[in-house]
Amino acid sequence: MDKNLLQYDGSKRVLAIVGVLTVAQTIAIITQALFLAKAITQMFHGASFTDVSVSFALFFLAHVIRHTLQWAKERVSYRFAERTAHAFREQLVEQIFELGPQAVGQHGSGNLITLTLEGIPKFRKYLELFIPRVTAMAVIPAVVVLFIFTKDILSGVILVVVLPVLILFLILIGIVSKRRIDDQMETYRLLSRHFVDSLRGLVTLKYLGRSKSHEKAIDTVSNKYRIATNRALRYAFLSSFALDFFASLSVAIVAVELGFRLINGTVGLEMALAVLVLAPEYFTPVRELGNDFHATVDGQDAGNEIRAILATPVAKSESAIPAVTAQTTLALQDVSVEGDDRNILSHINLTLTGPIKVGIVGSSGAGKSTLIQALAGFVNTSGTITLDKVQATLTQDAWRRQISYIPQHPTIFSASVQENIRFYAPQATDEAVRQAAQQVGLLALIEQFPQGFNEPIGQGGRVLSGGEEQRIALARTLLQQQPILLFDEPTAHLDIETEHEIKTIIEPMLDDKIVFFATHRLHWMQTMDYIVVLDQGQIVEQGTHDELLAKNGAYVALRNAQRGVSA
Amino acid sequence: MSYAKTYIVPYLKKYYKVMGVTVLMGTLALLSAAMLSFVSGYLITRTSQRPETILLVYVPIVAVRTFGISRAVFRYVERLIGHNAVLKVLADMRVKLYHALEPQALFIRERFTTGDLLGALADDIEHLQDVYIRTVFPTLIGLFVLLFAVGGVAAVSVPFALVLFFLLSIIAFVYPLWSLYRLKKYQTAAKQQHSALYRDFTDAIFGVQDWLISGRKKVFTDRFITQAQASDQAESKLDYWHQDRAFQLQVITGVIVIIVGLWAGLTAQSGAILPTYIAAFTLAAMPIVEGIIPISHAVERIPVYEESLKRIDGIHSQNTAPEKPAVTPNGTAIQFTNVSYRYPSSDTDAVQDVSLTIAPGEKIAILGKSGAGKSTLMQLLLGNLAPTAGQVTIGDTPAAQIGEAIYDIASVLNQKPYLFATTVENNIRLGRQDATTATIEDVIARVGLQDYIATLPKQLKTQMEETGQRFSGGERQRIALARILVKDTPIVILDEPTVGLDPITERELMEDMLRSLEGKTVIWITHHLTAIEQMDRVLFMDDGQIAMLGTHETLMQTNERYQRLYRLDHGY
Repeated sequence: MDKNLLQYDGSKRVLAIVGVLTVAQTIAIITQALFLAKAITQMFHGASFTDVSVSFALFFLAHVIRHTLQWAKERVSYRFAERTAHAFREQLVEQIFELGPQAVGQHGSGNLITLTLEGIPKFRKYLELFIPRVTAMAVIPAVVVLFIFTKDILSGVILVVVLPVLILFLILIGIVSKRRIDDQMETYRLLSRHFVDSLRGLVTLKYLGRSKSHEKAIDTVSNKYRIATNRALRYAFLSSFALDFFASLSVAIVAVELGFRLINGTVGLEMALAVLVLAPEYFTPVRELGNDFHATVDGQDAGNEIRAILATPVAKSESAIPAVTAQTTLALQDVSVEGDDRNILSHINLTLTGPIKVGIVGSSGAGKSTLIQALAGFVNTSGTITLDKVQATLTQDAWRRQISYIPQHPTIFSASVQENIRFYAPQATDEAVRQAAQQVGLLALIEQFPQGFNEPIGQGGRVLSGGEEQRIALARTLLQQQPILLFDEPTAHLDIETEHEIKTIIEPMLDDKIVFFATHRLHWMQTMDYIVVLDQGQIVEQGTHDELLAKNGAYVALRNAQRGVSA
Repeated sequence: MSYAKTYIVPYLKKYYKVMGVTVLMGTLALLSAAMLSFVSGYLITRTSQRPETILLVYVPIVAVRTFGISRAVFRYVERLIGHNAVLKVLADMRVKLYHALEPQALFIRERFTTGDLLGALADDIEHLQDVYIRTVFPTLIGLFVLLFAVGGVAAVSVPFALVLFFLLSIIAFVYPLWSLYRLKKYQTAAKQQHSALYRDFTDAIFGVQDWLISGRKKVFTDRFITQAQASDQAESKLDYWHQDRAFQLQVITGVIVIIVGLWAGLTAQSGAILPTYIAAFTLAAMPIVEGIIPISHAVERIPVYEESLKRIDGIHSQNTAPEKPAVTPNGTAIQFTNVSYRYPSSDTDAVQDVSLTIAPGEKIAILGKSGAGKSTLMQLLLGNLAPTAGQVTIGDTPAAQIGEAIYDIASVLNQKPYLFATTVENNIRLGRQDATTATIEDVIARVGLQDYIATLPKQLKTQMEETGQRFSGGERQRIALARILVKDTPIVILDEPTVGLDPITERELMEDMLRSLEGKTVIWITHHLTAIEQMDRVLFMDDGQIAMLGTHETLMQTNERYQRLYRLDHGY
């Protein structure tokens, strides 16, 4: 039993309602069986049509009540499940945004998307199934078998004995099949991935001239996969086999036992029929629970995963963020960012007064991106950050709203061109959007689109090249007009000519701002007023371009390494 | 439904035996349940007459025990055989899909712009097992059970068999078809809303930084929650309908039980059957109906398969050019003579009047903005595109006539070469199956991976995946390069192999690449000018035309644009 189940809003009430309905339902089940047995017995003894009709009518009434209650149970559980899942989803989405890009990176974007869009429905399904199934399991067999005991002790004994044997078998089968399946999990996984792997690698196979002959491999592996799957299924299906087997076998045993005692005259026909009709009902809840076992386990896992994310503490900062200008003094004192096993940034000390353009360079993994992320308020930092001598925590909206951030691969939303450009400034006029598009050199392209500024881009829309995407991001930034601009490697993936064009657009944007520009591409450094060289998370050199050249240290070494000149 | 004819029916025909056995087993399982009720009902009423000796009820006793066991056994066998049959179908479908996909491999990205189409296709095939497991089998089994029940009753009374057929038809035909009709629009709506949710949420996750900076995250979350709730509403309509239908079908079941009971009672009174069969018929009614009820659920799923089938059909319906006979060219000199190419969907030339000779062993770099025609040039050379004007020849053979044999003389290292989920060694061996271990070790050394491979837990036998992120971009490119070196073709095309690498890795990788490719014709499409000094010639494409062509030294001396770009790349 999932102990979290009782903690959801209203779950106790739902459990109580479903419990009461289940008890009522059990009574209906027994009544239904009694009157069906009675009707049959009456017919057998050639009773009058009226008598038989009354019995059948009462049977039907009990039958309808039973299924009405079933319907009500399902509806109540569904509503509860839906309500709870809605609340969970809302909290989850808000939490993801609260935790920001760092958490997205940590949990994996694909994982969070699946969890929100597939995990929540699974969790709902679990709640929806689990409450009625477990209640039925707890109530129906017990009441039914108690009733049978009052009528026919031996049948009751048979049923009571079979259930623990059945459960024991299920456990044994579970252990054996899990071991069997685990044993071949690795082969199984490789085989199952082979096809998608082949499709994704098709271009490569083609270029290697092996794509035609690979068809044979697809066939062979698919069949190996089939054989492996069959082997696993042999065990996987055993538990439902056991459920079916014990349930119907014990009905058979009860029937035969009753038969013997009917011959001896120790039980009456009507009671015997009633017990016969009731016997399968005793097993129904277990079988239903078994059938939905995987759905409930999946849903429970999803629920646990969501709960773990919701439980992640969010650093709430109370410190007020002053309005910054391009003249603000920004100071980092002993700022560090923790990674999994070591600090990604350690003990950064940096004091700057705007307007200033700061280049951040260093080899791969030196911490350039993380420094930009920290300045953007996307990651939690230790140490002290001050803005005009006022201590501030950057991971809050009030700060982020004052910056612009241009990453290597800006997000292009599935929306029109103009909505994308307007993303940070929804109130911008059409004229301003047009102006921005012109400034970044997109106007000619946009005017070629059939729908102009309303052309859909992003997923499912027109595909833009890397340079065009970067221009959209720059247009966004132009509309925003923030005092602080953060660039994270905006041009490294572009071809050199496009890079040059983008550079001519970016350069004038940097004047009279506080700019942090992280890049591998050292040609940007001529534009910068100040350069910070990072290595393994630490600042190893800082100064102006000329100072660093004169110093002939880390910066010069980096330049030489890139040019292939040995120092 | 037209998809069913192409993608479902042929497999039903091909595997009719094993599928037939599956349906038979499923039917027998349900009939066992019905017969268990039937015989127990008979046994109990018969024994209540207190027969002289137990031998008189010996047969029913054995039958009860048999049916008690056989249901579970039949069901188990049905599931195993059914899954095996379906997996056979899936294996066939995979091969068929691959066969259709293979010729279009290089252009698939241009035809389908959205998402991970290939991953989706692989999933689609997996989903199609439900066609059989959850739709075809339950429907057929339900129908057989219906036939059996009606046939069994017909042995006693033909008119009542007709009545029963009519009653069961409500469950077997009316409800399924009604569900199908009614639910189709909800299903479509639910599906559309769900994919809209997917799109928006994926955007939001990848753009979480943008939402944070915009200070409008509340706008997004509010909108998303509303949207999600609308989607849930469409789904809950479906679920409510399921609950309502389950209830209605149960009420109908109750009615059927009563009608069968009354009929059995009256027939016994008239003497057509013994009274001992009253209980038998009445009790068997419920399991029979329960075998037919799943048809509704099976049939209403049909629209769900449509999207998968549509996507697969989209691949199959592309008429691909007939297989060209492979002609091995008699040389490796490459000649472009006044070549132009225009894509069918375009009204401008992607490559325009290009003339170029590449001598064997020459190293040429091709630069240009995206869309300048670099990739088109490469596809023309590989013969995957035939020029609309002019001629591309390798040796004396037009490239378009070479066919698959092109890959015996030319290798391509693309931007993101795919490394398969197998060992490092197998990945390299893909270049040439019969490569000796010594050869593989040799190329590993040539691409500068020797030391790195030595640190891996199982060296060359390390699974690419086990190490996951352990292979960096540079290392992955080196493994791919090793694969090409094993292949040992006279021409090697490098298609932007260093995008996404940092400058130092980029320089080291290019130097190692060019060194290891010494003596071969190298055509290097590049976005940067790193290591460009080592190339014999440099070519710039601009709007499909050759804008600059010359040696690095000449261009440095005479071409201002080249000088500027070179300086930019070198950090000046």
